[in-house]
Amino acid sequence: MIEIRNLCMTYRTAHGEHQAVKGVSLDIRQGQFYTLLGPSGCGKTTMLRCVAGLERPDSGEISIGGEIVYSSEKGIWVPPHNRNIGMVFQSYAIWPHMTVFENVAFPLRHKKPKPGRAEIKERVGKALALVHLAGLEDRPAPYLSGGQQQRLALARALVSEPRVLLLDEPLSNLDAKLREEMRFEIRQVVERLGVTTLFVTHEQIEALTMSDVMAVMNDGKIVQEGAPAEIYSKPTGAFVADFIGRSNFLTGKVSSVAGSNGSSTAMVETKIGTMHCRLDVSAAAGEDVTVAIRPENVALMVDQGGAALNQFAGTVDTVVYVGNLIDCVVTVGAERVRLQLQPSAAVARGAQVRLNFPVEHCLALKQ
Amino acid sequence: MATIVAERVTERRQGLRFDVASAGMIGLTILASFAILVLLAIIFWLSFTEGTPGDPALVYTLDHYRHIFFDSFTYRVLANTALFSGVTLTVALALALPLAWLMERTDFPGKPVVFTLMTMALLIPGFAVAMGWVFLLHPKIGMINQALMAVFGLENAPFNVSNIFSMGVIEGMNLAPLAFVMNAVVLRSMDPALEEAAAMSGARPFQAVFRITLRVIWPGLLASAIYIATIGFAAFDVPAILGLTTRIFTFSTYVFWVLSPSEGAPEYGNVATLSVIMAFVAAGLSWAYRKAQAQAPKYAVVTGKGYRPRIAKLGALKPLAVLFVAAYFIVAQLMPLLTLIWAALLPYLQTPSAAAWAQLSLRNFQNMPKELLWRAGTHTLVLMLIVPTVTLIISVAISWVVLRTKIRFRGWFDFIAFLPLAVPAIVFSVAALLLALFVLRNYAPIYGTIWILVLVYVVARISYGTRMTNGALIQIHKELEESAQVCGAATAGVLYRVLIPLLAPTLLYAWIWIALLTYRELTLPVVISTTNNLPFSYLVWGFVQASAYGSASAAALIMLALMLPVLLLYWFVARRAGMIAMR
Repeated sequence: MIEIRNLCMTYRTAHGEHQAVKGVSLDIRQGQFYTLLGPSGCGKTTMLRCVAGLERPDSGEISIGGEIVYSSEKGIWVPPHNRNIGMVFQSYAIWPHMTVFENVAFPLRHKKPKPGRAEIKERVGKALALVHLAGLEDRPAPYLSGGQQQRLALARALVSEPRVLLLDEPLSNLDAKLREEMRFEIRQVVERLGVTTLFVTHEQIEALTMSDVMAVMNDGKIVQEGAPAEIYSKPTGAFVADFIGRSNFLTGKVSSVAGSNGSSTAMVETKIGTMHCRLDVSAAAGEDVTVAIRPENVALMVDQGGAALNQFAGTVDTVVYVGNLIDCVVTVGAERVRLQLQPSAAVARGAQVRLNFPVEHCLALKQ
Repeated sequence: MATIVAERVTERRQGLRFDVASAGMIGLTILASFAILVLLAIIFWLSFTEGTPGDPALVYTLDHYRHIFFDSFTYRVLANTALFSGVTLTVALALALPLAWLMERTDFPGKPVVFTLMTMALLIPGFAVAMGWVFLLHPKIGMINQALMAVFGLENAPFNVSNIFSMGVIEGMNLAPLAFVMNAVVLRSMDPALEEAAAMSGARPFQAVFRITLRVIWPGLLASAIYIATIGFAAFDVPAILGLTTRIFTFSTYVFWVLSPSEGAPEYGNVATLSVIMAFVAAGLSWAYRKAQAQAPKYAVVTGKGYRPRIAKLGALKPLAVLFVAAYFIVAQLMPLLTLIWAALLPYLQTPSAAAWAQLSLRNFQNMPKELLWRAGTHTLVLMLIVPTVTLIISVAISWVVLRTKIRFRGWFDFIAFLPLAVPAIVFSVAALLLALFVLRNYAPIYGTIWILVLVYVVARISYGTRMTNGALIQIHKELEESAQVCGAATAGVLYRVLIPLLAPTLLYAWIWIALLTYRELTLPVVISTTNNLPFSYLVWGFVQASAYGSASAAALIMLALMLPVLLLYWFVARRAGMIAMR
């Protein structure tokens, strides 16, 4: 539904040029919920604004529903008001001088051909009912709460049945509880209408819970693209492993590789000892790698001496109680390893412990 | 449907960046910038020429510069102007700062009344007040002088208002309301925590004012001081009413005098050269003003947060404070205006006496040339309707281009729009005159029509208009327009449905304000007006020039009376827009 080929975009400011998007290509299929995730300044919002037509890229091609809306090669440019898209802005951009009804009716009134009065009324009513705002038609827009404004923005974006829905960090202005509610609700509405959605966020929890497909962006490029579970469990690089969830990183050198390419295991010499790791990328013996392991996957055992595969002795350094879990740091040699434990776990500062790094969770990543 | 498709196809093929409405706004911006630059270029060009433009005998020369720079009188005028600006600034700030502090930071009684009077005083034409002062303190006809001479048997008048110092004092009193408004805003937006911290550190209230408050508001204070000095430098009406007859000149009046000498033909080359010099000095002052203003954020006093400043209790000093404020209004505003009424009711000016009372009549009003009065009224009305409307349409276009598009050189348009504020009004009116006389003569004969007034009035107000629209547009979140675009509205739709409604309160306020400024404007028409295109202020000016003081006073009073409804409208709108604080 949305195809982007080799998109480049540079901002020119008084302080010089900034290349925000560096040759990104992606495909979003009909009905898919596609998320661009990344830290601020990674170019994700610029991508979205290019799709909307609010920014004009330097080069590349964008097509929506098979229609090319921008192409540097063919000299095509469709202005935003002719692109037939729905968009929810970060600030919601609810027009304060209009009522709820007028806000939602706006896209219908600028549609070609313009629907009749009765039809506008009916479609606005439907859109408001969809986001649970029925009955508030005549209220001036500024008299809505933050959550209601968010719903109104969604109704306005969907009322003209656009080909695609663009969401620009729509949840960032809500408080934590409301955010959780709206995550679920947006997903539900989008699913019910089957509208193709491009969602931009810097919150990994939103990306993981809402997307069909997500792409992690960094420095103007897509670093990894895939289903949320795949990205979380099989990050292909240190950036993704650290940005999505948390990871402990240990640098080391591959000493031997076993198994066929793609699903092999490797022995890695690290500063704390030899580790047996999963190897999803191809690497040869002697190569430098980084071993990533998530805090919740490190197991804590009482130190009974002896040695076993991927087990290392250490000392508990800090213990922080966070409510639903215990955040704990153990020093192993010169390295500090972060763990997440059940709140019931008995662990005290200074205790001598043994850490177990399960092979299937130790990922050897290229540096 | 077919046409829509065709339109979209062509748009796509050519990759158009702008639709009709945005192209229109860019066009308007370029046109307005061009007009400003042409006006400035024309005086620059004429300052280097001798002869009539268009005539083959025209020669390029530095004679005018040589003449002016080697003329000692130029330096006298320059010194006069500097002294005049200095006195103006000192008096304006000496009055405005205590007033602002009393209104913003103390429990002074009846603040809304003071704010209202200040707003009115802001708009009373300077020449009306100056006329009142002539009637009070002129060495020959001044009533106070005559009374004192009669009582004490003096040979000479004790006061002389026709000197630079007196002019400065009167201009300073006239500009005090403006300085008040500027500094009240600065004081209002200052975080009181800064003073509270000083108090916690052991500073007494008086020490806190000097060590903290004054230092913190310094950039804002400096900016307003430079601004007032710039206005003082360019001021025309007070020095003209008080000093033209005795040939005591500031730069503005000197330019006017060279332009309309009592004998001989005007030397346009010299006028243009003086204008160029004046424009450069004023531009320097404006540059300093912008510098000072840019400094202000460093101190981050003005955060836009609604602070509740600490209110000092005046206590036993309250009567003294009331006396100070009352004295200002009585001396600076009421006295000259009452004198104006007195003068309007008498056949010739005399000190109050039984004989004078017996002569009071409305004859000056009745004898007013009706046809002229009617023409002045209608011309002023037309100007008041057209000038603010055109100015604001252009201002919205310029602000939109500068703040919302990415076209190249957009920053220059903002700079050009600021020029009319930097360059004195008299320079622009001289430029318009020279343009109409020498350049447009054959193509567009606008000299002697109302259109030359519209042109120069609009150009002179573009700075104010764009400052207002810039400020308002910055406050409007860009996403409000972008969402309208995404919802299917082209630029015209975005403007009409979203931007204009959101700008409406500012536009209404600015419209009335520009209309009032148009009403009281004297500097521009004195240079360009003829009997065929005379606004009201020019009619009053004509009577003053003819020394018909009774008629001049009557005309000025009619003008003030006609202005009153608009002034009230302004007051209501400004209050609603929160431009006049009422605490």
